[in-house]
Amino acid sequence: MISRFQAEIATALATLAFGLVIVVGAREFGIGWDSSGPQPGAFPFYCGLLIALASLGTIATTVGRRMGGSAALAGIVLDREQAGRVLAFFLPMLAFVVLSVTLGMYVAMLLYLVFAMRFQGRFGWLPSLATALATAAFFYLGLEKFAQVGLLKGPVEAMLGL
Amino acid sequence: MENFASLLHGFEVALTAHHVALMMAGVLLGILVGVLPGLGAPNGVSLMLPLTFTMDPVSAIILLTSLYWGALFGGSTTSILFNIPGEPSSVATTFDGHPMAKQGRATEALSFAFLSAGFGAMAGVILITLLSGWVARFALKFSSPEYFAVYFMTFASFVGLGGASPLKTIVSMAMGFALASIGMDSVSGNVRLTYEFDVLLAGVSFLIAVIGLFGLGELLQTMEEGLRFDGVKARVSPRDVLATALKLPRYWLALLRSSIIGIWMGITPGGPTAASFMSYAMAKRSSRRPEAFGKGEPEGVISPETADHAAGSSAMLPMLALGIPGSATAAVMMGGLMIWGLNPGPMLFVERPDFVWGLIASMYLGNVVAVVVVLATVPLFASILRIPFSIIGPAIVVVCFIGAYTVASKEFDIWLALAFGIVGYLFKKLDYPIAPLVLAMVIGDKAEDAFRQSMIFSQGSLSIFWSNPLVASLMAIGLALLLFPLIGSTRRGIRKLVTARAAKA
Amino acid sequence: MKRLCIAACLAAASFAVAAAPAAAWQPSKPIEFVVTSGAGGGTDNFARVIQSIITKHKLIEQPIVVLNKGGGSGAEGYVYGKGGKGEPHRVVFGTNNAYLLPYVAKLGYKFSDLTPVAALALDEFLIWVNGSAPYEDAQSYIEAVKAKPGSFKMAGSQSKDTDQTLTAMIQDATGARWIYVPFQGGGAAATQLAGGHVDSNTNNPNENIGQWKAGQVKPLCVFSPVRLAKSEPVHGGKGWGDIPTCKEAGLPIESFQMPRTVWLPADVPADAVAFYADVLEKVSKTPEWAEFIARTAQTGRFMKGKEFADFVAKDEAANAKVFKNEGWVVN
Repeated sequence: MISRFQAEIATALATLAFGLVIVVGAREFGIGWDSSGPQPGAFPFYCGLLIALASLGTIATTVGRRMGGSAALAGIVLDREQAGRVLAFFLPMLAFVVLSVTLGMYVAMLLYLVFAMRFQGRFGWLPSLATALATAAFFYLGLEKFAQVGLLKGPVEAMLGL
Repeated sequence: MENFASLLHGFEVALTAHHVALMMAGVLLGILVGVLPGLGAPNGVSLMLPLTFTMDPVSAIILLTSLYWGALFGGSTTSILFNIPGEPSSVATTFDGHPMAKQGRATEALSFAFLSAGFGAMAGVILITLLSGWVARFALKFSSPEYFAVYFMTFASFVGLGGASPLKTIVSMAMGFALASIGMDSVSGNVRLTYEFDVLLAGVSFLIAVIGLFGLGELLQTMEEGLRFDGVKARVSPRDVLATALKLPRYWLALLRSSIIGIWMGITPGGPTAASFMSYAMAKRSSRRPEAFGKGEPEGVISPETADHAAGSSAMLPMLALGIPGSATAAVMMGGLMIWGLNPGPMLFVERPDFVWGLIASMYLGNVVAVVVVLATVPLFASILRIPFSIIGPAIVVVCFIGAYTVASKEFDIWLALAFGIVGYLFKKLDYPIAPLVLAMVIGDKAEDAFRQSMIFSQGSLSIFWSNPLVASLMAIGLALLLFPLIGSTRRGIRKLVTARAAKA
Repeated sequence: MKRLCIAACLAAASFAVAAAPAAAWQPSKPIEFVVTSGAGGGTDNFARVIQSIITKHKLIEQPIVVLNKGGGSGAEGYVYGKGGKGEPHRVVFGTNNAYLLPYVAKLGYKFSDLTPVAALALDEFLIWVNGSAPYEDAQSYIEAVKAKPGSFKMAGSQSKDTDQTLTAMIQDATGARWIYVPFQGGGAAATQLAGGHVDSNTNNPNENIGQWKAGQVKPLCVFSPVRLAKSEPVHGGKGWGDIPTCKEAGLPIESFQMPRTVWLPADVPADAVAFYADVLEKVSKTPEWAEFIARTAQTGRFMKGKEFADFVAKDEAANAKVFKNEGWVVN
């Protein structure tokens, strides 16, 4: 589905972009060397430059090896089945993050754990609900009550007056 | 001898039923704090601080230091079981600890980690007892160039490890440095690389990076391979713990070497994180089978753990004697000392011997208590891996994000952890090494500060790095560490060439 | 213009406070104490001591949660305070950096995003030299620096912050020239001086007391209008009260002090401001507070309302002048 070559090039392009963003951001603070040593932007500037150059290097060698007919690069790095498994795990995780910032982390935790256990783990409703509730309660007591550290809360907590 | 008498007096202070009970409570709370995500030792200690306001200083510091030991042990536990380092200094423990756990050797890995950590801590405390006066004077010799040289040594020992592509290693390490420089630059007073986003003012915490890269990235990788943890097959019995303990003396060289590295980094003070990375690197370099590292080599667990705890305990000395906190946790404890009415500094040893020697004695006792308590809990923790993956997987996800949020109570960090998770997955898949990124994030800004302070000292002249014997020898060791692998590989290359020619001829 | 507005706004705020009946507002949920420094820093100690006193004397019924937000030299905490607009359960602890930071760095908040509550103490600054240095008074040290311009080193915490500002003021007033070396914090500046790597620092008493006790460093003068309170001898028979003021020592600088301040977000009820000011005033009268002040050799001075507003206006003007001279102002 996705070949190693495609993945290598895409990742190298992403790190190249990251390097350039750093280079641009660092230029604002002076990148030279004055009487008191390197200026504030110098260090991040050269780091950014290094990232960009090394990324270009990766692209160049990858393309070179591809031209040379490297079998490893032509190989599939992620087949359909693997992609399916990764997505089946990643998408609920993403949903958990989105729910966390909208409904609060405790509610998100409940929904996420129930979903994963009931529909992905094929557990019954009762154990799923019990485990999710117990986990949420454990974190609530441990963090909010014992350690006095608050998690993100949403409308439901406000309603319950927690 | 004088120190020995003081220590005996310290034991009189520390060995009361009340204090031993406090140690137990501290260690147990610490393990909880270390295992709970995001609640690292610094948070744990600052959370307990208000409770100590009404205690006498000796009891208070015993509670807090015990909590610290407990949290360090708890941090190693999550590194090994879930590849989520609870503390930055246990990052290096994941390299071999987690592979061991995956192979069903969780009990062995945990027992090795705890026992060697206890050994390291003891080595550190013994050093404090014997050399307190001398070390305090020695640490005063350190200024910015020497600090830089110590960080340089750590990097140098780590570069050239592992078989990853050099280009990818550069990308990874430079990304770590760049991320570390986000936020306030204390040398110039500029806010760098925030692109006017308020959320970046405080920089990117390496804890978030670690949670994403190691914790979430690992989960995605595990899912892709369709693997389950093999913990189900692991026998968990107290007898395994004992069997592992009996194997430990075989690694006496690793224990000794790592203790020395740890103590050196603790008092110089490079800190426990640098110590654990460096110790791991040295173990791999001097090993007869370096290829086994990263795949579940016990020495790869023993070395960083020993050095971590040796550094952690010996770093208490600069804190007490000089008022230099070697780590975030030490900084919080110093704040505590001041609230209790004590002034850390050279005179603390003279003015409050009860406190200082009571504390040192409690470090002996506290670590023994901690090792016993955690060993007793190994079977419990190892059995976590028996839980089916469809429960434990999502539970780890929840734990990771809770951890990410509680680092600084910022919503943005949740997204950041997710992003790092994707990066971690990609990097692992495409053989980018992750350890250099984390190492650069942890000590990158300190190294940069030290370098630029040195340049201010010398008004821009690099000669400051060999201006006195101390800094010159540190730099020389660093350069040697950097160049050795290069020389080694060139020599191997030449030899290959020569033999090839000889074969032809 | 900006200064005028701040003074006027503060005066208006204080008027509102004075007019409101005291204690009409009560906290209805746990209170966040936002600390604009990392754990273990000066502001952290300040906030946690207040927390411990409030807890001990049960001055507030609701629990108090301390949050460290020290990123960006404290800007992180103030930005967090700004985010709590209209939320009276979020109390921000800081120094004069609340109104000085926006001058020297581009940050996500303005001083007007905060509501002043009170200041509880003034932290002092001294000139310290190494214990074995040949200088016995400030004048002889300054002369030595003037004789070899650009070769003496002054250590301080951070850049464009109080220590560097004070160094600039001394340079302006005397014509002496230092190389200023910024470190992470006062603790590092203290050990660097004790180790003889720098020639002097301008640390607060609390940051150098350990080294002074051991005779590794010694104070030359204090930038306070009057001498510090008498204390037990610290080293060589001398205590805090025996240190001459810099004015006495011949330095033409009247005073340089750093207020320990407490703020609320913008748009909170005036009653809430009055409530906290009242609690903090009670705190400042407890023996525990007096003990904390004496131990850290700060000057206890409770200010709220108009008095606090006037202090802020004056302090801001004095600092802004230095920032402009040094070319640190960003906008």
